[in-house]
Amino acid sequence: MHVDEHLEQLRARFEDALKNSAGASSLDAVRVAFLGRSGEVTALRRSIGKLPPAERPAAGQRINEAVEKMERALNDAQASAQALAVGASLSQRIDVTFPSIPPQQGSIHPMKRVMHDVCAYFERHGFAVVVGPEIEPDYYNFDALNIPPDHPAREGFDSFFLTPNLLLRPHTSPMQIRTMQQHRPPVAVVVPGTCYRRDAVDARHLYQFNQCEGLLVDEGVHMGHLKGMLTGMCREIFGSEQQVRFRPSYFPFTEPSAEVDTTCPLCRGAGGECRMCGGSGWIELGGAGMVHPNVLRNVDYDPEIYSGWAFGFGVERMALVRYDVDDIRRFFENDDAFLEQLA
Amino acid sequence: MRVPLGWLRDYVELPADPGAVAQMLALLGFPVASIETRPIITGVIAGRIAELGKHPNADRLQVGRIDVGDGAPLTIATAATNVAAGQTIAVATIGARLPQLTIERRKMRGLESEGMMISAEELALPAEWFEDGIMQFEESLRPGTDVVECFRLGEAVLDVEVTSNRVDAMSVIGLARELAAYQNVALRAPDLSNPGDGAGGPKAEVTIESPDCRRFVSQIFTSVKSGPSPAWMRIRLALAGQRPINRLVDISNYVMLETAQPLHFYDAAKIPNHHLIVRDARAGERFVALDGSEHELTPQALVIASETSAECLAGLMGARSSEVTGATRELILESANFSGPRIRRTAGQLGFRTEASSRHEKSLAPALTAVGAARAAQLLAQSGATPHEPAAFGPPLSAPEPIDFKISDVKRLLGYELDLQAITERLDGLGFKVEPQADSVLRVVSPAWRTDVTCSADVIEEIARMAGYDRISSEIPAVRAHDIASGDYRRERKAAATLAALGYREIVTYSLHGAHVYEKIRRAGLEPPVRPVEVQNPLSEDQRYLRHSLGPAMVTHLARANAPARAFEIGHIFYTEDRQPLETSMAFFAFSAEPHDEPEWRDSHFLRAKGDCEAFLRAMTGESHFETAADEREGFHPGKTGVVLMGGREIAVVGQVDPRLLRTFEAPLPIYACRMILSTLPPYDVPQFKPPSKFPSTYRDLALVCDIDLPAQRLENALRSAAGSWCTAVAAFDEYRGAQVPAGKKSIAIRLTLQKPDSTITDAEADAVIEKAVAALSSQFGVTLRA
Repeated sequence: MHVDEHLEQLRARFEDALKNSAGASSLDAVRVAFLGRSGEVTALRRSIGKLPPAERPAAGQRINEAVEKMERALNDAQASAQALAVGASLSQRIDVTFPSIPPQQGSIHPMKRVMHDVCAYFERHGFAVVVGPEIEPDYYNFDALNIPPDHPAREGFDSFFLTPNLLLRPHTSPMQIRTMQQHRPPVAVVVPGTCYRRDAVDARHLYQFNQCEGLLVDEGVHMGHLKGMLTGMCREIFGSEQQVRFRPSYFPFTEPSAEVDTTCPLCRGAGGECRMCGGSGWIELGGAGMVHPNVLRNVDYDPEIYSGWAFGFGVERMALVRYDVDDIRRFFENDDAFLEQLA
Repeated sequence: MRVPLGWLRDYVELPADPGAVAQMLALLGFPVASIETRPIITGVIAGRIAELGKHPNADRLQVGRIDVGDGAPLTIATAATNVAAGQTIAVATIGARLPQLTIERRKMRGLESEGMMISAEELALPAEWFEDGIMQFEESLRPGTDVVECFRLGEAVLDVEVTSNRVDAMSVIGLARELAAYQNVALRAPDLSNPGDGAGGPKAEVTIESPDCRRFVSQIFTSVKSGPSPAWMRIRLALAGQRPINRLVDISNYVMLETAQPLHFYDAAKIPNHHLIVRDARAGERFVALDGSEHELTPQALVIASETSAECLAGLMGARSSEVTGATRELILESANFSGPRIRRTAGQLGFRTEASSRHEKSLAPALTAVGAARAAQLLAQSGATPHEPAAFGPPLSAPEPIDFKISDVKRLLGYELDLQAITERLDGLGFKVEPQADSVLRVVSPAWRTDVTCSADVIEEIARMAGYDRISSEIPAVRAHDIASGDYRRERKAAATLAALGYREIVTYSLHGAHVYEKIRRAGLEPPVRPVEVQNPLSEDQRYLRHSLGPAMVTHLARANAPARAFEIGHIFYTEDRQPLETSMAFFAFSAEPHDEPEWRDSHFLRAKGDCEAFLRAMTGESHFETAADEREGFHPGKTGVVLMGGREIAVVGQVDPRLLRTFEAPLPIYACRMILSTLPPYDVPQFKPPSKFPSTYRDLALVCDIDLPAQRLENALRSAAGSWCTAVAAFDEYRGAQVPAGKKSIAIRLTLQKPDSTITDAEADAVIEKAVAALSSQFGVTLRA
């Protein structure tokens, strides 16, 4: 049989197959059957070898032309099949309100998130974040911080003792001393960490809690810088309208000392019957002040040249206010509903 | 400290609103914990019982004609029995408002009563601290006087918090002084001269044998009259939370509340030769205090003794033996100053705290001894006693050390400037003396009652308090560059972020636990830590030990959920080494899972845990390939645990939690866990990019039959090294054990991926590599290709 006849029959079969195919996948089958590596066209090409050499080029060219046509037809068919499929998919209607399939997702503990946010704020302003041991000797907890033995202020730090002079730190302030011993000014650090005090447990107090300490020492550092940084921190943690108020207080390691309050985020300072601030319009954050000259002397900083400030805030306390949590113990109970809601 | 507002008003002009006073105190550094408002009481006046007789119609009632000043006397019936003609009493008139009732005209057994005689309780005073029955006043109180107004019964009581450095302000006068200075008004202090000065007369000799007694003022009073205190003092003490006892005891308490100086009165008749000795207590010395409590003393305690016995536990409480009573005619006053630490230690040792010790232990100023004695002498003289010459013992009072401070330090520490005049004005009101020196230096001398101001920073705080902390501005400092690194913290934060991204939920648990944790470990047949870190003074047995691992709390947490859950914790763990308690930071993640239906030699949960572990380690170290070796670790399943190695060093343990522990911790589902010590992780090593080959890769899947205990990882490693540099990946993906392989053998399916950097790998090249690799395995491990 002549090549042309073969081609004619092939084209007829191809058109039949094309007509009978439905959808992209059956078009693929047609392509394989006719144009694939072991398809009909390949068989036909092989048969060219049997022709006299003079006829071969012409036959080859005709086959090529036929293949080109078939490919074009296939491509057109494929394009229209795809268009049809897209058109069909456009008519699909699903219930988008059906519950989503949740990803397997972890979360950061809400107290830790507050801690990270506080640290991140200070890091942005050039502070380093340092962490230290939870077991500390008397010296770092008290003596170096201007709280000699028998000082009445030691009572405020009712501590857990491991040996006569090793205790679980009741505050993160020992890291002030450790940091200043290792570095000369400027010193700019925040210290997040777990602390322990022998406090009776209730909705506001726990024997274990986390603190975030801040320390800036350099020439020309004053209390206005403390207020500025703490105002910025409160705006980051509680909201952009936060104000900060200082009240005089007493801590042996700072002088002047201050209690730091911030506007109650719940009533926005209005007070009244507010359950969060008890009507004062303010929330107590913790203590702060200018580093006591004796503390600076204890680490061989000259208090005539250098000044600095420090603060120490309870992280759970901040989280309590930020997330409107009713009981501080929830931060250690890890109840799934609690962690889930604040994830 | 409970401070009746009416008492404060005696000494300083204050706003009417208690809230405004509280606000001022807070801004001065004395936060007010609560404001106790008093009930509204009206229409209560003083009345004198002109006549008293029996009620005509009732045996139990009496009827009095009460003189109430202006107007006609009132006829009032009462059931009280402590009334008699001539007494001055509290009368609620018709229309009077009392906390519980309003007084109306009414008939009592047919007789119209024009009011009511009332008790202390009806004036909202603690009934148990006052006489049973009708409240009695002194004769000097004019009938018709408004009782509520006269005794300031309507004034709120503030609960003021005083910081431990300001013991001088644990007193009405101290707080009044602060409020006066803040408002820049005069302090109307009571007369603080001692009426005994220059009076001569008997003196009580004091021998001070201990340096811990720094000052002792003694003073003898004769013609002492006991009996109840006047109503104003009883009411004031009651409002301040101090039970009125009798005239003498009340004066000592009143003076302490007013001046901060605790006093003690001895019945002079009980003190031989009127000689007192301040000395260390003798070991085993017994002491019965005024309140009846008995104490066995050690030399730690300081006592004030007569020549025969201890008569006062210094700074704490007097002895019952020389207590002033109704029979006391002569008394010896003690106004003394003791070392704060000594009193504090003694109080702690005896477990005995008093109002006096709470002041002494904060180290009062020695100069206050004379003030306390003077005020008491004034009050005793008012009560009719005769004051004699006071005598002071102990080292002479030292003048306060002057403090030189630079005016420029105000700006340096507070950030705002104040001039000399402003500074002087502010310090003056608090009693400081200010003398300008050369070079803008001020010499400041503290008042005698302030021992807390010793350096320039202290002075600046005083200035700041008076100027108002609100003056401090808000500024963002320009922090200069420094070389302090945030390494450890960043690692912890990154670990947490990575584990959260891997689907674990962060928990925070307590570091302290009780012996029950060890009990559960023991019941599982395992050994708890040999030397746990122990707290010497735990709050309870449930918090005696510091955790040695985050594991028990994690298992407890996961056990609580009935459904599969995933959690992690990062925190310190504690252990003992060379008798030293030590700690390190651990990361621990775990999940609970329903068991799969799998042969006993396979556990895909373990592989998942290992996958999470590797993903975590990759994020932390930058490394992407880790070796794992089977091993046993405390707390983990002996056959389902691997240690992950990096550079031959163990960096993590991953495995199933020991099922015996799951049983004793009551965990319903198997738990898979991974733990690591964060500080042992190598620092993050930034991975370097190697451009992948542009040429296609090919792969071969091999089914290798090998000894049953040959780890897949060894086959992989051997294949990788035998296959040479074209081999881009080797990974086992299936395992078979059973009838189709010989006994003692297993079949492992491994995919080898091959790729050439410079051309497309041919089938023949690939086959040659595989053949060589299989041959190598065969000689190393006797591995055969599965047919």
